[in-house]
Amino acid sequence: MSELILDDVSVSRGSGPVVSGVSLVVKPGSLLTLVGPNGAGKTSLLESISGIVSTSKGNMSLDGVPLGKLSRIKRSRLGLVHVEQGRTVFPSLTVQENLELTAKSPTGVDEALELFPELQKRRSSASGLLSGGEQQMVVLARAFAARPKYLLIDEMSLGLAPVVFLRLLPIIRHIADSGVGILMVEQFAQLALKIADEAIVVTGGRVTYGGPAEPLMTDPALLHRAYLGMAEV
Amino acid sequence: MLQGASAGLAAGGLYAVIAVCLTLMARLVRVVNFSQVAIGMFAAYLAVIFAEQHLPQWAATAAGVCVGAVVSGLIGWIIAQWLPEAGIGARSAVSVASLLLLVSLSFILFGSKPKTFKSLLPGPAFSMGNVVVTQVTVVMVALALAVAVGCHVLLTKSKIGTKLRALSERPTTAELLGVPAKGLSIAVWAGTGLISAAAVSIVAPTQTNDPISLSFIIVPASAAALLGGFRRLDLAVVGGLALGMLQGALAQFEQMSVLRYWVPFLIIVVFLLWAERKEVWDVAR
Repeated sequence: MSELILDDVSVSRGSGPVVSGVSLVVKPGSLLTLVGPNGAGKTSLLESISGIVSTSKGNMSLDGVPLGKLSRIKRSRLGLVHVEQGRTVFPSLTVQENLELTAKSPTGVDEALELFPELQKRRSSASGLLSGGEQQMVVLARAFAARPKYLLIDEMSLGLAPVVFLRLLPIIRHIADSGVGILMVEQFAQLALKIADEAIVVTGGRVTYGGPAEPLMTDPALLHRAYLGMAEV
Repeated sequence: MLQGASAGLAAGGLYAVIAVCLTLMARLVRVVNFSQVAIGMFAAYLAVIFAEQHLPQWAATAAGVCVGAVVSGLIGWIIAQWLPEAGIGARSAVSVASLLLLVSLSFILFGSKPKTFKSLLPGPAFSMGNVVVTQVTVVMVALALAVAVGCHVLLTKSKIGTKLRALSERPTTAELLGVPAKGLSIAVWAGTGLISAAAVSIVAPTQTNDPISLSFIIVPASAAALLGGFRRLDLAVVGGLALGMLQGALAQFEQMSVLRYWVPFLIIVVFLLWAERKEVWDVAR
């Protein structure tokens, strides 16, 4: 079965559970956005999928392969790429080297740079010297160069001017349309919902809404209720 | 004095090679490896044992160096397996434990009497006026330069170097992108172990030959690495060679010869004070 499936997943961290009984499905070519207030457990959930933290309960599988005991490397080999929070470029590596690190074919770097023409002339610049927006472009291009089956994106907008984030959103949609299943965590809910097929609202580690993105976008009251944990799942 | 400085170059070459290894370890696998020279000492002692079993000297040395690389890789495996997310402090503490383990193991396996190392490179290479330059000196200086240049080229011009640099800057991100962190870490440990073992095996016949004295060559080597801030390979080499020459020159003067043992400590203290000068100044204000 070609899907990324989470079934009743819980994650505990230090003081106690941060994610409780979350279930979701990411299909190839679809974009599922995960929104919710600060501290809702969104990042922990993504980190449990990529193997940075362990789950305390539940099952996860990628295209039918159980992820539970797989290392981060093995998960990445299955086609799972996690774009972490912050601008996670390798600062001393040039843009070209950042992309070569993940490129699966000789043309992979060029294909990734087609998404961001502004990076073409910065190929040989150390990526630590780029602006915040350009660094996020490198991070996204690097993830695309890896030819992922599923992409986890955590708070792409963090520290970016809204205008820069707006530049990135259609590219994320384009990547999904190319057949990649995307699970995107975002605080700018209204902006993220615009490009999403489906949405999940997480509050206090629990899912308070799961379904199509459109109702949340068109009915702010529903989104508000979901944030307060009052909407029907 | 020139003869003394020249004689000190062999030790300086060893300091430089070890300083390069320490710099690589600190940059790439986040460890200040206090067992770096002890691994070489262990390999050199093993070579003596192998030679006593009627193996040719070169074969005994090669076998000792290989075992040194394996021992180093094993320590790296332990750290990669059980302390993958630990900070530099915890990881370096394991290397202190490894240093003590290797020294005590060498006393158990090889006895408490110092061994006589046979020189692989006996005799002088050439002389300039009154100054005689030995083969060991030439080889050690060449080895120091070759190791530094080779590592620089590997890190900046190869795919594996790009992966190693990525790993050193953001280990978790690199791993999430499919860089095999564990395998590369162990390879760095084994590689630096091999280089250290080779360097110590070449220089050991010209040095004091008990396990503790040999292992504590880590102190001047650390001072040399500190000159490069545990970041720069070129300064580590220059620091190592300069330190060796300075110690060699000081040894020529009877009244000052004891001072040569203080030079590394002096460098470490001065460097740390210099590095912290801003904070010290701020506190004083």
